Amino acid sequence: MGKNSIGEFEEIVMLTVAVLFQDAYGVAIKKDIEQRSKRSVSLGAMRTALKRLEKKGFLKSAFGEATAVRGGKRKRFFKVTPYGRKVLEETMDTRKRLWEAIPDLAFDA
Amino acid sequence: MEEKQEVTPPKYLMNFFRWFCDPEIAEDLEGDLKELYKEKAQRSIALAKMYMIWELLRLFRPGIIKNFEGHKNLNNYGMLKNYLKSAWRNFMKYKTFSAINIFSLTIGMAACMVIFLFVKDERSFDAFHEKKDKIYRLCEVQSFPGTNTQNVALSMPGMGPTMIADFPEIESFTRFWNWGDQLLELGDKRISIDNVAGADSTFFEIFDYPLLIGDPGEVIDAPLDAVISREVAMKLYNKVDVVGETFVLDGDQCVIRGVMEDVSDNSHLQFNIILNIKSATLDNPNFDSQFGSNFLNTYFVLNENADLADMSKRYPDYLTQRTGNEEINDRYKLFLQPLQDVHLASTTMEHDYNNHRKFNGTYVDVFILVGIFILVIASLNFMNLTTARASNRAKEVGVRKTIGAVKGQLFNQFILESILLASLALVFAIILALVALPLLNNLIDRELLLMTLLSSPQLVLIILGLTLLLGLIAGIYPSLYLSSFKPVVVLKGFRSHEKKSLFRSSLVIIQFSLALGMIICTLVVIQQLSFMKNKDIGFKKDHILLVDMNEQSNEKYDELKQALLSESNVLGVTASGQRLGSNFHQWGFKARVDTGMVDLTPSNVHVDHDYLDVYGIKLLDGRTFSKDFATDDGLAYIINESFAKELGFENAVGQKAGHSWYPNDSLGTIIGVTEDFNFNSLHYAVNTLSMVVHTEWGYSEMSVKLNGENITQALKDVERIYGEFVTDYPINYQFLDAHFEELYKSDEQMGSVITIITVLSIFIGCMGLFGLASISIQRRIKEVGIRKVMGASVSELVTLLFKNFASMIFISFLVASPLTFLFLSGWLENFAFRIEIDPLIFLVGGILALVIALVTVSFHVIKAANSNPVNSLKYE
Repeated sequence: MGKNSIGEFEEIVMLTVAVLFQDAYGVAIKKDIEQRSKRSVSLGAMRTALKRLEKKGFLKSAFGEATAVRGGKRKRFFKVTPYGRKVLEETMDTRKRLWEAIPDLAFDA
Repeated sequence: MEEKQEVTPPKYLMNFFRWFCDPEIAEDLEGDLKELYKEKAQRSIALAKMYMIWELLRLFRPGIIKNFEGHKNLNNYGMLKNYLKSAWRNFMKYKTFSAINIFSLTIGMAACMVIFLFVKDERSFDAFHEKKDKIYRLCEVQSFPGTNTQNVALSMPGMGPTMIADFPEIESFTRFWNWGDQLLELGDKRISIDNVAGADSTFFEIFDYPLLIGDPGEVIDAPLDAVISREVAMKLYNKVDVVGETFVLDGDQCVIRGVMEDVSDNSHLQFNIILNIKSATLDNPNFDSQFGSNFLNTYFVLNENADLADMSKRYPDYLTQRTGNEEINDRYKLFLQPLQDVHLASTTMEHDYNNHRKFNGTYVDVFILVGIFILVIASLNFMNLTTARASNRAKEVGVRKTIGAVKGQLFNQFILESILLASLALVFAIILALVALPLLNNLIDRELLLMTLLSSPQLVLIILGLTLLLGLIAGIYPSLYLSSFKPVVVLKGFRSHEKKSLFRSSLVIIQFSLALGMIICTLVVIQQLSFMKNKDIGFKKDHILLVDMNEQSNEKYDELKQALLSESNVLGVTASGQRLGSNFHQWGFKARVDTGMVDLTPSNVHVDHDYLDVYGIKLLDGRTFSKDFATDDGLAYIINESFAKELGFENAVGQKAGHSWYPNDSLGTIIGVTEDFNFNSLHYAVNTLSMVVHTEWGYSEMSVKLNGENITQALKDVERIYGEFVTDYPINYQFLDAHFEELYKSDEQMGSVITIITVLSIFIGCMGLFGLASISIQRRIKEVGIRKVMGASVSELVTLLFKNFASMIFISFLVASPLTFLFLSGWLENFAFRIEIDPLIFLVGGILALVIALVTVSFHVIKAANSNPVNSLKYE
């Protein structure tokens, strides 16, 4: 586990950002996570995670256009950076290798 | 669109959000919040609001909350933090200076705290009476022929009852008559209680001595009604609820109607038992209209419109009318003394028997003054050192200004530092006072408590406020000075461009003037005190034990005296009606002169035959009392020199004289004239005096002269023998020395306080000078180097460097001397017997200050003069 390690929640956020692709902004990400993982996500927790991930360079963001629904406030759209993608892949690889290393009989008992 | 424009979260929630949220993520997060709100609001606005609040609460986490530090924000926290940091670094970098700064302020503050406690304690006297502003004590100015005019705290029994009838301003009155030690009989028990007094029924209504049991208006309504203190109740009955119990006093059965709390120490009246005043005058129905002799205190409550000046115009008429005596106004002038003045402003009052712990109020003012002085010295120190250190901070100021600090900010920074220092000093001062108080209490015989400072929130606020103010005032000049530096000048290389700082020199001069003044005062005060201690007062007061006399010891006086004299440790035994050390009672005396009779009123005392021998009072003429002459008991007088002069006799011995009540045809004889001796305290001139023997009058006190070499054994012997003869009364004694010490206690205490404060202020002044010397010599180090290279010797350099300081001390001396002289002359007026102020004292004080100052700076001076010029010159 190097300094590139990410936590479980962070991983989910990043993956969701990737899933939503061009529509990955605050409320959308929150709803998507809540829908898929069936757990309640606070705006605060999510926004902190996004901020942290962006600071680490795994995500990048840009403002969208202002809409009336948001009281004239712009959306901030997130995108996974190539570096972020690499980290996600590494995480997946680590998992995969771990799965492959599990002896067949491990779960039978 | 079904979306309505109005469906937005409440404004206050959004404002709150914007306040705490990091502005970098605020916009999109706010949009998110609004979007979510709108969605929830479609179902229920109330629910949406709840949700909003919940969501906002959950936003309270690091990463969302904005950073309250740093340049991003529009507040000063970061700057303040920086100020604190640089203040701290400066403290640590110049440890000596910081220590001197803080420590001198600490000493000043601690001294002030203690003085404040002392003053508060003195001023708390009689402050617990609700009517304190309306209560007055009736006093008299007596000018009897043949004696000094005197203020007297006593009055006549008839004055209270008649004045309330004649003066509408008087609301109520009470008299207070101290009967001293009394023997109480309780069944077959006999117990001696001191401070038994009589008072009028209004006593507990006028004065607020708290009653545990009983109604203030009723407890001593009738003769033989008594109120006793809790302590006496426990002593007599071993319980507090003793209402209804009785005891026998002087053959009369008294009933206890009330129990009071023990009288507190800060009351000028002290009593353990108080009875209705008529208890002692049951067979004297005219007591309330009795004039003539003064033996009790009278107190009045005046109404709000009372005008003392107007009342005093009517006293003469009142006296003539009530006494029927036209001449009485030549002898008596009445005046009312406010209750508040009784404790602190009765120094000139004689025959002031009921005035517990009487203190000279001007000394309280002196204490306040020296308290202020020491604080001034400490703050001047602070100003001076901070300003002098300016060159150390000059670069900092330059850099700060270059970066963009404006003058106001720098000013704030230095003020903040100064306040910080003052607060730190406050903390240390409290600790110091805490440590020093027990020692001080011991020295001045008080029970001052530091907790008194915390007794009220106002006081705490005042202390904090004063500390703040002190920091502010002491910091203003250095802050202004420092913040006015021009960055170009200071960054180019700060030279002490100011010539000789006149301002700083004058601060030092003020400091040293104060210190010098105090040194001289201390010297004079000590001189006067030792003068009083060692002055030949005309009789020998060493090793004299004063034993209280009572009915039983008077009865057996002759046997008791013989038994005592047979002890080897007892050198002499005599007795008298009054104690040496305060004025004796005055009554009329007449003598036959060529032209007829003269009537004078000297002080009088009745004594045992060998009184003059035991006390070693010197006779100028005639003989002392002797048992060989029967007429010596009642018909022989020994007078003092002053009285002989007053009477106008060239040769007084052998002249016919007697008490004023003796018929002219049966007078006694003056048998001797003594030297004037100071039977009264040295505050007063020697009064005219007549001594007489009246064995049948009984004595109030026995004087036993002990062998000084074995006091402990002698005391044991006296106690044993006393016990053999006197069984009803326990022995009660005091040494005459101790009594005399008490007389000068106010003076002694002022002496100690002034001495302590002087030492402290010299100490503070020296610390300041030490710091200042190091800086000013540092500035001249190059000059010293060059001079040395040019061939100046070490001693020449030392003289050169000393000169500056010496001249400052000299100016201080010129400033301080006249003011001190004025102050001291005023103080010495208090004493009839006083030293002359010797100009030499001023010289001694000045030289002392000079030596102390030069010793203080010599460390730096000698170091500088001896330093190798290479070190100081190589960096040019």
